[in-house]
Amino acid sequence: MTRVYISRDMASVALGADDVARAFEAAGCEVVRTGSRGLFSIEPLVEVENEGQRIGFGPVGPADVATVLDGSHKARLGNVADLPFFAGQQRFTFARCGIIDPLSLQDYAEHDGWRGLDAARAMPPQAVVDAVKASGLRGRGGAGFPTGVKWQTVLEAASDAKFIVCNADEGDSGTFADRMLMEGDPFCLIEGMAIAGHAVGAGHGYIYIRSEYPFAIAAMQEAIALSAARIAPFTLEVRVGAGAYVCGEETALLDSIEGKRGQVRAKPPLPALQGLFGQPTVINNVLSLAAVPFILAEGAEAYATIGFGRSRGTMPVQLAGNVKHGGLYEIGFGITLGELVNAIGGGTASGRPVRAVQVGGPLGAYFPPGMFDLPFDYEAFAQAGGLIGHAGITVFDDSVDMAHMARFAMEFCAVESCGKCTPCRIGSTRGVEVMDRIIAARDSAPAVPAERHWEGYLQKALHSRTPDRIDTGLEAQTTLLRDLCDTMKYGSLCALGGFTPYPVLSALDHFPEDFGAPAPIKEAAE
Amino acid sequence: MSYTRETDHGTPPAIATGKSVTLTIDGEAVTMPEGTSIMRAASLTGCSIPKLCATDNVESFGSCRLCLVEVEGRNGYPASCTTPISEGMVVRTQSERLKQLRRGVMELYISDHPLDCLTCPANGDCELQEQAGAVGLRDVRYGYDGATNMGQAKDQSNPYFDFDPSKCIVCSRCVRACDEVQGTFALTIEGRGFDSKVSPSQGQDFLSSECVSCGACVQACPTATLTEKKVVEVGTPDRAVVTTCAYCGVGCTFRAEMRGEELVRMVPWKDGKANRGHSCVKGRFAWGYAQHRDRILHPMIRASVDEPWREVSWEDAIAHTANEFRRIQAKYGTRSIGGITSSRCTNEETFLVQKLIRQGFGNNNVDTCARVCHSPTGYGLKTTFGTSAGTQDFDSVMDADVILVIGANPTDGHPVFASRMKKRLRQGAKLIVIDPRRIDLVKSPHIEAAHHLPLRPGTNVAMLTALAHVIVTEKLYDEAFIRDRCDWDEFAEWADFVSEPQRSPEAVEPLTGVKAEEVRAAARLYATGGNAAIYYGLGVTEHSQGSSTVMAIANLAMATGNVGREGVGVNPLRGQNNVQGACDMGSFPHEFSGYRHVSDDAVRGQFEQAWGVALDAEPGLRIPNMLDAATDGTFKGIFIQGEDILQSDPNTHHVAAGLAAMECVVVQDLFLNETANYAHVFLPGSTFLEKDGTFTNAERRIQRVRKVMAPLNGYADWEIVQLVANAMGLNWRYDHPSQIMDEIAALTPTFAGVHYDRLEAEGSLQWPANDAAPDGTPTMHIDGFVRGKGKFVVTDYIPTDEKTGPRFPLLLTTGRILSQYNVGAQTRRTANEAWHPEDRLEIHPADAENRGINDGDWVSLKSRAGETSLRALITERVAPGVVYTTFHHPDTQANVITTDYSDWATNCPEYKVTAVQVMRSNGPSDWQRDYAQQARLSRRIAPVEAAE
Amino acid sequence: MSDENEVMSTEDRLIYMANQIARNLAALGDEEATAMTADHIHAFWDPAMKRRIAALAAARPQALTPIAAAAIGRVAIP
Repeated sequence: MTRVYISRDMASVALGADDVARAFEAAGCEVVRTGSRGLFSIEPLVEVENEGQRIGFGPVGPADVATVLDGSHKARLGNVADLPFFAGQQRFTFARCGIIDPLSLQDYAEHDGWRGLDAARAMPPQAVVDAVKASGLRGRGGAGFPTGVKWQTVLEAASDAKFIVCNADEGDSGTFADRMLMEGDPFCLIEGMAIAGHAVGAGHGYIYIRSEYPFAIAAMQEAIALSAARIAPFTLEVRVGAGAYVCGEETALLDSIEGKRGQVRAKPPLPALQGLFGQPTVINNVLSLAAVPFILAEGAEAYATIGFGRSRGTMPVQLAGNVKHGGLYEIGFGITLGELVNAIGGGTASGRPVRAVQVGGPLGAYFPPGMFDLPFDYEAFAQAGGLIGHAGITVFDDSVDMAHMARFAMEFCAVESCGKCTPCRIGSTRGVEVMDRIIAARDSAPAVPAERHWEGYLQKALHSRTPDRIDTGLEAQTTLLRDLCDTMKYGSLCALGGFTPYPVLSALDHFPEDFGAPAPIKEAAE
Repeated sequence: MSYTRETDHGTPPAIATGKSVTLTIDGEAVTMPEGTSIMRAASLTGCSIPKLCATDNVESFGSCRLCLVEVEGRNGYPASCTTPISEGMVVRTQSERLKQLRRGVMELYISDHPLDCLTCPANGDCELQEQAGAVGLRDVRYGYDGATNMGQAKDQSNPYFDFDPSKCIVCSRCVRACDEVQGTFALTIEGRGFDSKVSPSQGQDFLSSECVSCGACVQACPTATLTEKKVVEVGTPDRAVVTTCAYCGVGCTFRAEMRGEELVRMVPWKDGKANRGHSCVKGRFAWGYAQHRDRILHPMIRASVDEPWREVSWEDAIAHTANEFRRIQAKYGTRSIGGITSSRCTNEETFLVQKLIRQGFGNNNVDTCARVCHSPTGYGLKTTFGTSAGTQDFDSVMDADVILVIGANPTDGHPVFASRMKKRLRQGAKLIVIDPRRIDLVKSPHIEAAHHLPLRPGTNVAMLTALAHVIVTEKLYDEAFIRDRCDWDEFAEWADFVSEPQRSPEAVEPLTGVKAEEVRAAARLYATGGNAAIYYGLGVTEHSQGSSTVMAIANLAMATGNVGREGVGVNPLRGQNNVQGACDMGSFPHEFSGYRHVSDDAVRGQFEQAWGVALDAEPGLRIPNMLDAATDGTFKGIFIQGEDILQSDPNTHHVAAGLAAMECVVVQDLFLNETANYAHVFLPGSTFLEKDGTFTNAERRIQRVRKVMAPLNGYADWEIVQLVANAMGLNWRYDHPSQIMDEIAALTPTFAGVHYDRLEAEGSLQWPANDAAPDGTPTMHIDGFVRGKGKFVVTDYIPTDEKTGPRFPLLLTTGRILSQYNVGAQTRRTANEAWHPEDRLEIHPADAENRGINDGDWVSLKSRAGETSLRALITERVAPGVVYTTFHHPDTQANVITTDYSDWATNCPEYKVTAVQVMRSNGPSDWQRDYAQQARLSRRIAPVEAAE
Repeated sequence: MSDENEVMSTEDRLIYMANQIARNLAALGDEEATAMTADHIHAFWDPAMKRRIAALAAARPQALTPIAAAAIGRVAIP
């Protein structure tokens, strides 16, 4: 019987993988449902096993069974790992994804699974924490805080109840690495959390997954059940979010797990000292925890040799938006933005010139092609007025209106604001209004004030109420926008309000012409 | 005294660690306790950082972002409220950059706030207004045409405060105050982002929500969003006087905020050591009775209770009173008259009334309303520990790990203390509730009792002995403590007694109705759960075994070593504001002030010397004995200050018969109460707002009552007693209550150090305060019991003679409710009626169904003593076989039903156990109709034209 | 007590009270219970009540329990 491998990843399924799998089953094949390899332009991908070799075909439709099985299908890819998109990657975290049956303990063990956990459990906790420190691993959720340092704090905190919390509330547009890993290699995350549990002395962990990820939720729940004995006495459970973006913020996430309204907590106290239910808590992103088994299995040095500057190891970069080869690309830090967008992503899917890329989700900065030599590195991006965030890259072609993108950023913040702190609660709504006035002024239609709904003599008479005192001109509104961004950036309680100015100000700085101002003088480098 | 708002340091004090930290704030070196926020540290050094969401009675929140500061070496601008100080930190609270950021935030606030300051009730008392000025906001460049939360409807449903959401800045102070301070969790923020709104419960209005009107949210609100109706009506106050609440025994300190002579609001005082800045609906809002039109302001007399009252001058009223008392004594003997002191009046006034009786009447016929509430506490704790008072201060509860509540309903009876207790329970302390009813504490937001033992009314002693049985037989007692602090032989005798098999939880299960396993688990928790504190109320004392129950409680505390330090102890929750003080002041017929027996020659000698007369060495009559003697014709005159025995004492028919048999009943009160229907002289009383003095709360804390306005009736109560005394020839010369306190101090060893100058300096003192304890005594029995060795007393369970049977198959127990107070004389004359306009009979659905009773039906409630009618409330809060009602309304007269069974040692009435029958009825009983008619007649006041 | 006995007479009540005190102290043993009952009446009852109970003890000895009766015998009557 012929064995074929077809992804069960949500993205693959969306592209028709289930129908393809059924067709191969109907043809008498043994179908192994794997995770996705991460290149969506070749999905649905079918890999046919032949004498230990896997020959890939993709994209494939349900009608293509015969041509795939006889090898004549025109989308024959050969060994998928040899494709340029994969050959250049350094897959530490995603090594098994797309290759194994995600819910097969046997597959997992045969592909180096549990080696990290076994190694960790043979060491004292401090040695595990030291290894994570030595690897240089930094929080992959966006903040880039050294993971080992966080663990050290929790290890040293005195308490008989500590927790490991995995933040799988992957809500940024253009990001999908967490989901792909949970669907494609859930045991890897489980192993990482069990190692963390051993390292800091925590007995129980929570994986907080957004409700929009039903496949990931199911995969994790099943994987937890299957591996319960392997990770015991450490225990795990899945908690499902309720659709609030802000619950991706770690302290709001903790509130949400506790059953409260998801609102950002002021720090200190750090969650590492008083986190979930007031107990010392490791809270890490999926990718941070999933990087840990490799570090323990292969040694910190193996991880730390890869990278750039203070950014060590690999980053699973996600290419999305208007890009030809969208997908997940795991690579050591240091690769330039231009290489990622043009060489690997293949430029825009529309074929038009790239005008802007947004890095780090809806709160990340927009970069023009003039900045494509920027190396992928936490510090370099911060210096350039941006952030790596969760390493999602969204590509836009020259039809994009950057003023509308700035407005979108404010609107996103207004919709997702928890409402706790004032700069975010009121500022984001005012930001949308300011952008509307800027766009109106730019489009040279005079700004039309909204209908007054005030009533009563006294209120009308109040001098400071009169609307025409506001200067709705471009210059005044742009100044106000910058002041508002300043208030939000430095005044907000959490990253939602604090980072919203990144897309807004980067759009304004790099694309002033979209805000009715003169275009910047192009640099000689062009 | 001019009006200034209390200083708000922004965040609560740090949890004491004993360590301190030195840092620099605006160039000045500052040393503060570790854990203090930058904001508080700055405020304490006199530098105020702008703030809106921070207030020092709730934890920091960090939402307003006005309090940002610069910290050298740190990125960004940390919020000073949420950032703790650290060693060597260099903080700048003012800079151009900070000014810019704060202005930016304020500009956003004001872009969504009405600019109607001039017509706003908070004008001049608004933190938003103040902070806008502080940050120098001059322009709002966003204009007012954008999205807004203004123009929302006001919620005016609460009788005491308005909620105007248009003015809300979503700082969550109200929500946090409701959660953290009050612990009711009635408020929430609904929606998110720009649509975030404060909402009572599930989008209800305030009145129909779970809100208990404690006022914490109103106090916390920095704007006019939550405002007292009185402020809306009158305007902001212009002066404030700190005084003590005249409701329950918690003894909350308030600022009486005045506009001229008009009281605008009562605001809990943050420095109040009993309440720590918190309040309840009664103290905070229900003070309108003080100016109620029902108040009687002129003295009145009448020859017979059939006649209408006749207003007379003070001189005539006083002379008449003195003459009548002298006449009766001349005719019937020295011991034919007596008096009752008031637990609502000050210590000084109470002391004077008992002095009038002892010195002027020449007998010991003085009693007080503690007779009917906490007299068993006095007896029981004096016998076991040596002192008639609770062992702890209220703060002690914050150190308790296990809290045992028996026969008390703190969330209704002592709400401000209950909030502290709930706070401790939310921090993780375990709770045991022993009560026939499922009181709110058993399960409320974020609180659940580890064990609720819903025992049958009247079985307290059996239950407590069963707990002791478990502790002794499972060897959970603290042998070291017992050997050190008690008499081991007495313990051994007691231990043998409680260990007998018939006292095991299994053996008494048929009596108490509580599962033995649950009793065992509760006993283990109490004995082994760390610091264990017992809080109890009238559900312990008002039984025929009240004194035994108090002693059984004391036994448990001693056996487990839970006496003599913070977090433990035996804590009676006192009912009335000054019931502790009234007892301390010698209001009992057998004791002088400080609980010293009248037969003690040395003590009596001191008083005789001070007062210049010979004093009676024999105990006098207790209230029920006075009434018996009256019906027998040997007791003919009584002076009753501030108590309504007709409504509050048991077996109303018996009380009425006694009063009717007297020749001169003098009632001094604010209102023509029910007792006054039988009175011949009515002397108008003054409220706590109209006089100086002191109250002593349940934690033995002596606190000042300060005059905020002149007495409407012309005299403070102590002055009236002095007039009566002098008319009887006593020649008293008090110009101010402080002189009375000096006399108390001179004659009472436990009060020797209590003087007004000390009280002004310390704020309050907890007795004993004397040379041995110059700063007072927050916790008693630390190094040894007052009586020397703690005494274990064998407490046998003697069932009450009040028994259910075919005619009276149900057990009635009585109690009170949050919004009303005692006989309701005060609260019924306030808007608190909105919550509890009538007494209802709580009955279990099964008992109601058997009788065909629907919720709200009129039912007749009948006992061996009498019958009344009221409406039914069907609830599972009471167990099958038990019914419950309150006694706040004279139309109901629940005490028509209660019997004259009483505590064996103190005659404290058995209010908590009456066998009754309940049946459907058509409305008020004949007796109620007759009584209403008689009350109307006896309250007639004759027109005054003749006096002209 | 019968179902309809609303209010005891003063004399019945005095007897009831003395017996009730004695009953609650009986667990201490006869001797101690007697002494404590006597102390109690001595300390808390007014002279007229003491005189009356003494008279009742003489007139209606069967109404009192043995401990109560013994105790009353020990109370100094003013």
